[in-house]
Amino acid sequence: MVATTTVRDSRVPGAPSPTTHDRLVVYRTTIGQAMKPPRFQYRDPDTLADAVALKARHGSDALILAGGQSLMPMLNMRLAAPSVVIDINGVTDLQQITRNGDVVEIGAGVRQSALETDPLIREALPLLARAVPHIGHIENRHRGTVGGSLAHADASAELPCTAVVSDAVVVLQGQNGRREVPASSFFDGFMTNACADDELVVAVRYPVTPAGAGTAFVEVARRNGDFALAAAGVIAEVDGDGRFTRLAVGVAGVASVPLRATDVEQELLGRPVDPATIEAAAKRVEAAVTTGDDIHATSAYRKHLAATVVSRAVLAAATDARNGGNR
Amino acid sequence: MTTTEHQAAAVDTETRTITLRVNGRDVSRTVETRTTLADFLRDDLDLVSVHLGCEHGVCGCCTILLDGESVRSCLMLAVQARGHEIETVESLSADQNALHPIQEAFAEEQGLQCGFCTPAMVLRCKEIIEDGKARTDDEVRHEISGILCRCTGYQNIVNAVQNASRKLGGKEAGA
Amino acid sequence: MTTTQEPTVNAPAKPTAGYKYIGTDRKRVEDPRLLVGRGNYIADMKVQGLLHAAILRSPVPHARIDSIDTSEALKIPGVVAVLTGEDCKAHMNPCMNFGPPTIAQYPIAVDKVRYVGEAVAVVVAESRYIAEDGVDVLDVEFSDLPLVTDPKAALEPGAAPLHEEHGSNLAYERTFEFGDIAAAMADADLVVSDTLHWGRSAGMPMETSGAIARPGNNGVLEVYCNSLNFSYLQFLVAGALKIPSNKLKMQPVAAGGSFGSKFTAHKVPTLTAFLALRTGRPVSYVEDRLDHLMNSDHHASDRYYEARMGFTKDGMITGLDIDVLDDYGAYLQFGTGTHGNALSQLTGPYRFRNARYALRAALTNKCQQGAYRGFGSEVHNWVLERLVDQAATKLGLAPEDIRRRNFILPEEFPYKIPGGNLYDSGNYPAVLDKALGMIDIEHWRKEKARLREEEGRHIGIGIATTQERSVFSSTEFWFWFDEPAFPITSSPESATITIDPAGAFQLQLHCQAMWGNSPETVATTVLAEEFGVEPETVNVSYADTSRALPGTGPGGSRFTVMVAGAVRGASRKLKKKLIDIAAHSLEVSADDLELVDGQVQVVGAPERSLGIPELAGSAYFFALNLPPGMESGLEESHTYDHPYTTLPAADRSDLGVFYPIMGHACHIAVLEVDPDTGQTSFLDYVAVHDAGTVVNPKSLGGHVTGGAAQGLGSTLYEELVYDAEGQFKSSTFLDYLVPTANEVPPFRIGHVETPSPYTEFGIKGGGEGGRMVTPSVVSSAIDDALAEYGMHVQQLPVKPADIVATVQNARAGQ
Repeated sequence: MVATTTVRDSRVPGAPSPTTHDRLVVYRTTIGQAMKPPRFQYRDPDTLADAVALKARHGSDALILAGGQSLMPMLNMRLAAPSVVIDINGVTDLQQITRNGDVVEIGAGVRQSALETDPLIREALPLLARAVPHIGHIENRHRGTVGGSLAHADASAELPCTAVVSDAVVVLQGQNGRREVPASSFFDGFMTNACADDELVVAVRYPVTPAGAGTAFVEVARRNGDFALAAAGVIAEVDGDGRFTRLAVGVAGVASVPLRATDVEQELLGRPVDPATIEAAAKRVEAAVTTGDDIHATSAYRKHLAATVVSRAVLAAATDARNGGNR
Repeated sequence: MTTTEHQAAAVDTETRTITLRVNGRDVSRTVETRTTLADFLRDDLDLVSVHLGCEHGVCGCCTILLDGESVRSCLMLAVQARGHEIETVESLSADQNALHPIQEAFAEEQGLQCGFCTPAMVLRCKEIIEDGKARTDDEVRHEISGILCRCTGYQNIVNAVQNASRKLGGKEAGA
Repeated sequence: MTTTQEPTVNAPAKPTAGYKYIGTDRKRVEDPRLLVGRGNYIADMKVQGLLHAAILRSPVPHARIDSIDTSEALKIPGVVAVLTGEDCKAHMNPCMNFGPPTIAQYPIAVDKVRYVGEAVAVVVAESRYIAEDGVDVLDVEFSDLPLVTDPKAALEPGAAPLHEEHGSNLAYERTFEFGDIAAAMADADLVVSDTLHWGRSAGMPMETSGAIARPGNNGVLEVYCNSLNFSYLQFLVAGALKIPSNKLKMQPVAAGGSFGSKFTAHKVPTLTAFLALRTGRPVSYVEDRLDHLMNSDHHASDRYYEARMGFTKDGMITGLDIDVLDDYGAYLQFGTGTHGNALSQLTGPYRFRNARYALRAALTNKCQQGAYRGFGSEVHNWVLERLVDQAATKLGLAPEDIRRRNFILPEEFPYKIPGGNLYDSGNYPAVLDKALGMIDIEHWRKEKARLREEEGRHIGIGIATTQERSVFSSTEFWFWFDEPAFPITSSPESATITIDPAGAFQLQLHCQAMWGNSPETVATTVLAEEFGVEPETVNVSYADTSRALPGTGPGGSRFTVMVAGAVRGASRKLKKKLIDIAAHSLEVSADDLELVDGQVQVVGAPERSLGIPELAGSAYFFALNLPPGMESGLEESHTYDHPYTTLPAADRSDLGVFYPIMGHACHIAVLEVDPDTGQTSFLDYVAVHDAGTVVNPKSLGGHVTGGAAQGLGSTLYEELVYDAEGQFKSSTFLDYLVPTANEVPPFRIGHVETPSPYTEFGIKGGGEGGRMVTPSVVSSAIDDALAEYGMHVQQLPVKPADIVATVQNARAGQ
């Protein structure tokens, strides 16, 4: 698309503003005028070791093809033009969901739709089960993967938000072995992450949600299935007196990365579950909203919306907790 | 945004021979690796019921069943389908004079006008009924919302899914 | 050359009474092939040796094209040619154009680009993939020109002209005044006014436009395409291509939806034909979705209004005063025809005599405007209903009451409105009453109050009506101009019925007809009614332009009416021939015979009969059994022209009758608004339409529902956005938001049938009305839901951010 047009600006200093006809701009169109993928070398390793080796060899010239729900549109529009595409769908090692004590490890290749129906996820990670149906449409989730969503690192996406709320850990693998990066530092900028050019996202580890904790995921989008204008994921624990004893609040769609609304968490911790109190505390999230105006929403709207979804999600999670949560 | 030199067709044409099962038959073809699955089905296998509406994964007109699950065929490469099973609407019936009950239900309810989203909707209908997700009109609306229809305003499609559900002995639809 | 055609007044038929096929929910004959995935769309065609085209679209809104370097592209194996505006300039005439000749348009930009997305160069290659590889390596140098994105600024002195030859960016300006608007406003007890903006959306069919052009026999260029009313306009395409009209054969290909968006020819079929002419090979160009979003034939209306309306204290309308500034885009393909549609129902369903309509159309650095379901009348209706709602609130009248007071009554038809158009028939109170009854308005009014009080919810109720003009006359293309170049008065439709030697029916239509509507169902239903044969047994085909009789195609809700006239006319001729043959064979008077259920029989003695196969056998093979002088064969054609049109007055004080077959609708919506998210959800919605005699209730209901869904899109979701820098911001389906099944509510449909006195069977057009009233009713319901915050919808689409901003501002001021 035109956003990718290369611009060589040869304005002389002191020339009038760029919108006047005195400006002389030479444009060279490069990519983004298309709807069929460019040429690339296709590689489809069977093993993780082979995939890692390929990634190490090609570095930033290679892109990983998992579910394809983000990469394929970019390839079709030629907004991405990698020399090598490494298809990891044949790496079956990445397609497991396993519980190990208080941690659930989800392989990067697990399909998003599997999270909606997997009994282990519903019991151990109820926030995921609530969040995943908001990802696109079922036709996307049948193919889209957990690792793909995390690696794409879209701040309006649901899975990155749940990872931040849950204090999940992203597992990366390079030729020198594995390393674990907390979700809070994995997402390090607009559509970027901490995965190095010679590494792959291989799994994400979520702490099991404590028994009795309540969860909620509230999202507002222009249409159901669109990117969130704002969304909030919440895990809450409430004591016998109806006070918050633990609260984790994540917000998607309002900044360059998925946020934790720590101000809101701190203000409510120890306080009673009361709609007015929650609504007032939720307004603290507005200060963290940095996404500017776009064609779907103004910044002012996003601020109010962020507070609204946080308030509603916190109240819903508290209600869920008081009803016993997921068990 | 800072690229000043374009890539001049740096990569040679790369092909693969793939074998997959399509509408109950094994097929084997050699394809260019960058070919999308949608283009492969249309151009190589003549399954032109797979319609290209947006080619970036939003409209859903290219929806097919991959191992029984609905997916966007514009968001897969043909090579990725090797070893898998694919169903297009022709798997229900390709005979205009002997429609499958789902197709018949769409005809009875006029759940189509221009026909462009129709093969995708019919396949999705099959999946919804098999998954038992046609319990209410609202549920059907939610379940078909990944496929855009510009003609019908959806009501007659909802009616068609409910009609098909009854024909196939699925759970009786709520009003 | 022009003539005035006086109406043929048929006795109004009793709706559906006595018909066997018309008025029943029959299955569509188009559907079996579509259901097995064999719609035979343009992209499905396989042609030996076919090349494929891809387009380099302009990344800049307004610039001179300094150079285009095609050398790298031409080095790619499989790239056959690269064509640019220079080729068009050298080998083409400008494309057909209903606007001023000083605004010339070619399928590829010549010398300069005028909007983001305009075609700059076309690569033709052995596959679409390779063609796009070629586009990737084209080098283009542009010199920026000052851009014009705001239509008001476009008309300021000194604004950069888009078309230097035209002199300014004022594409068109004219003021029509009917009656005495100054007196009407002076006499009014209440004058309401509003500043309104209807934003840019588009028909956006799921299938894009496409064409295949192939050099054929005898130097004939064959063009297969899913666009255009080409039996009407084919000679203009040939003119642009500089080839004789009989050397261009255009063949209709079924379209996957249009809604107006495939109405013209300049970008897709003309371009593709040009590519085939230059390469000498068959070429396919099918828009991808990016092409279609930013460089389709046209976007739809984008208008700014200053509008006023006068009322007496009793709520009677005294006059309507409109100033409209049209943000037309870079070219003026359709002239200002979309405003002619507005003038055809200038006063809506209301009885008042004074109106002023001042139009200025500005050229801006955007894709041009054109047709979309409603063709501009839906915009006018929104403005009209916004003003009526405002008056109702100020006068303390219920929305249904103010409308009822002003309705033209059933006994007043035919009714000539200010401006000259005529409404043929109607029963507006009956439509309103049916809608009010279907939704149980009193229940919802109580429920709205209860839910606000007990649950804090915000429910709104909207009521709106619309006229649905149908069956345009071609005078509307030129009455805008005092000295029109081509004051056409014909807009015919034709049908040919052949009974083959075995007695089977062939029906040929003479236009592009299958756009997702039901042309074959309608035509075979009428044929069935005439001959008593089952519609499904009739084979339907479409003539190409080498043999097509006069036809105009779908558009302006004309096709059902017109094809019914054509089929019935051809049927009458063919039935007469059957009866004459039978009379000769049976040796009875033709007056004593009738055609019943496929048999010609003696009245009162049905055992003396001959079946159609026997008569067909005689017609083809037994000339000596035919009445003396009768030609062999069984084929008749009929061309049906507009049933009622008159010439405009020379001074345009009266525009004549140009859109007289007038439907009507009333929608009532109950919706809930979430004041903190701006999201809306429907609790109920009824849509009652009067499209005269209904041919197929389920089909008409489907069109109403689909149109209403599109109206909802234009109201809440869909917008083609250009920013202040002229960049296009809605270039994917993630940004241009077509409503899904989640957003569209279950519309409940009702029909009232007031037959037209001027058409066969009393049918009126019904294809567009759904979209023509939804914007009004949803705007009204949103205002009603948030009245306590002073909500007043003035701009479409109304977005969640707009709603929340209004609520938050009101709360801040409390």
